[in-house]
Amino acid sequence: MVNNEEIVPSYWYNIIPDLPKPLPPPRDPPDAEFSRIDLLRKIMPSEVLRQQFTVERFVSIPKEVREAYINIGRPTPLIRAKKLEEFLNTPAKIYFKYEGATPTGSHKINTALPQAYFSMKEGIDHLVTETGAGQWGTSVALSARMYGLNSTIFMVKVSYEQKPQRRTIMQLYGANVFASPTPHTEYGKKVLNDNPNHPGSLGIAMSEAIEYALSNGYKYLVGSVLDVVVLHQSVIGLETMRQLQEIDEEPDTLVGCVGGGSNFGGFSFPFIGSKKGTKYIAVGSYEVPKFSQGAYNYDFPDSAGLLPLIKMITLGRDYVPPPIYSGGLRYHGAAPSLSMLIKEKIVDWREYNEKEIFEAAQVFLQTQGIVPAPESSHAIRAVIDEALEAKRKNEKKVIVFNLSGHGLLDLPNYESMMKRIG
Amino acid sequence: MNLKMLVSYATLGYPNREDYLKLVKGLVDAGSDILEIGLLPKYAKYDGPVIRRSYKQVSSWLKDSWGLLEETRRAVNVPLVILTYLEDWVSSLSELLTKMRETGIDGVLFPDLLIDFVDEYEKYVQEIKAHGLKAVIFTSPSVPDPLIHKVSMLSDMFLYYGVRPTTGVPLPVSVDSVITRVRTLVDNKLVVGFGLSDINDMKKALNAGADGIAIGTIYIEEIEKNGVESAISLARTFRGIINGA
Ligand SMILES: Cc1ncc(COP(=O)(O)O)c(C=O)c1O
Repeated sequence: MVNNEEIVPSYWYNIIPDLPKPLPPPRDPPDAEFSRIDLLRKIMPSEVLRQQFTVERFVSIPKEVREAYINIGRPTPLIRAKKLEEFLNTPAKIYFKYEGATPTGSHKINTALPQAYFSMKEGIDHLVTETGAGQWGTSVALSARMYGLNSTIFMVKVSYEQKPQRRTIMQLYGANVFASPTPHTEYGKKVLNDNPNHPGSLGIAMSEAIEYALSNGYKYLVGSVLDVVVLHQSVIGLETMRQLQEIDEEPDTLVGCVGGGSNFGGFSFPFIGSKKGTKYIAVGSYEVPKFSQGAYNYDFPDSAGLLPLIKMITLGRDYVPPPIYSGGLRYHGAAPSLSMLIKEKIVDWREYNEKEIFEAAQVFLQTQGIVPAPESSHAIRAVIDEALEAKRKNEKKVIVFNLSGHGLLDLPNYESMMKRIG
Repeated sequence: MNLKMLVSYATLGYPNREDYLKLVKGLVDAGSDILEIGLLPKYAKYDGPVIRRSYKQVSSWLKDSWGLLEETRRAVNVPLVILTYLEDWVSSLSELLTKMRETGIDGVLFPDLLIDFVDEYEKYVQEIKAHGLKAVIFTSPSVPDPLIHKVSMLSDMFLYYGVRPTTGVPLPVSVDSVITRVRTLVDNKLVVGFGLSDINDMKKALNAGADGIAIGTIYIEEIEKNGVESAISLARTFRGIINGA
């Protein structure tokens, strides 16, 4: 058995040089009145931007960031879901990487930490971002505090009102949390002017965050979709690979849920790049059907259109997702690298509806005890289906999935699902 | 010839007919080995704000592009490579290439060939060559290694390697490390461009093994600020840097 800390890698893995085709670069729209690509330089910390466009296969993790990973409890555990296997009566072995074991309860901290670290190194003292359900905002609030930086989080107003615990955690970490739309930005003022009771949206919150960062000389942190975020999240997959080696296990099937694609990409890309495993399943929401109905097109990653166009599977930036409980999956697109791998049929996809994932969550929490985030329950549903198929075919497969977060702050959501469908 | 190359870019017709012709002559006199001429595209997909501005300006008055290309051909004796987007020409490619050949153009470079047409790039390269033109292939850091290696052998004159995702925006990119990575894959001559933002970048590119550098945005910015003569004198400076490298 190796020393646990040795499992934490000293580099991140970047899949771009190993993709089957050139990754289409970001673009400015035709007849752009300003360059969004140029704007990135003002919005993002410069090392983060450099890593966004890097083509190095391995990017070294600064020693201080690796220490910070260890400080928040990395490596996260890889757990065999024995009771789930028994319940399903499957010959397959099921393992899960538990990202809920971080202090903020999800994988989001894996990129917030390095982004905050690079910001601190560049002399920036204040970080800004938006958050919907609160997972990302919580990670930014904690990471900023750990490096002695201030943070401002624009939280979508409905979530701000419905998820007071998330708001409280962010405030305890020392963040300013605003219910967006706010009167603190021009964009927010405009929205409030048209509708003082606007419930807010992720797009509005993002536009506010970017504007607020720009006008105050702060930096904006990105929580998913962009390549640099997937790069940082590769710590999940690299650790998992090492943990599987330690127990002499060869994975066959790798599964994760997809909002913007960062936990799935971070988990599965190191395996795809080193040709380990034979099947990779990206799981989305049936209610936000980007895989089944999205187009592979250039589109804005943000609904306000302040960021450059990127080529991805997308439902269109104006797509309004229905109010499902998996807040993190209510996103119109998927990371460019993941989109390409899906188009090239290297990665498979599934979509499940709320009823299907609620049942899966119940099976999982009653067998393994952990309350999964509703987002992660999508992955669990696919794992259950794979394990049942292995049973029908009597195959001794090894299925590994990423449990991207716990759902202890999503209990009101589960309660409501229980009433409606349970 | 062992000297490294200076490839200079000019937007066809920018800033006006007279100054444009003065510019191309001046760039050649200053030591440009090859001229890249940007032919007004419908959508300058991979161009930054500066080159887009130049296209916009030109689009307001330039009607006879081919006539001006003929004049360009008469004005200078270095190889002329047309830079334009394949997307605009897919349905009329043969006519475009025939016209180029008749005008005395030497080669063509489509920056979107390996990105938007990667499944059919060989067909297009053959078609260019079949028209008696040189096919200069554009690659970038996101092109997978095996493909860079393969197209480097197909590319005529040199392989163009754009270090940044767009022209003229100095995104923080480790210019030397992206070049070092491809240098070993490329047997052909390697010309680096796209967003080389300053002299420091150019030196890094040359030291990392580039056989030449391609400059565009900086000339246009200089023309905007101080006029054509000043842009030409920049070319002289760049020539000096290349010779000294
Ligand atoms: C627990 C959890 N899982 C998954 C996601 C989806 O995001 P991504 O696809 O970037 O991992 C989120 C996003 O908020 C999340 O909080």
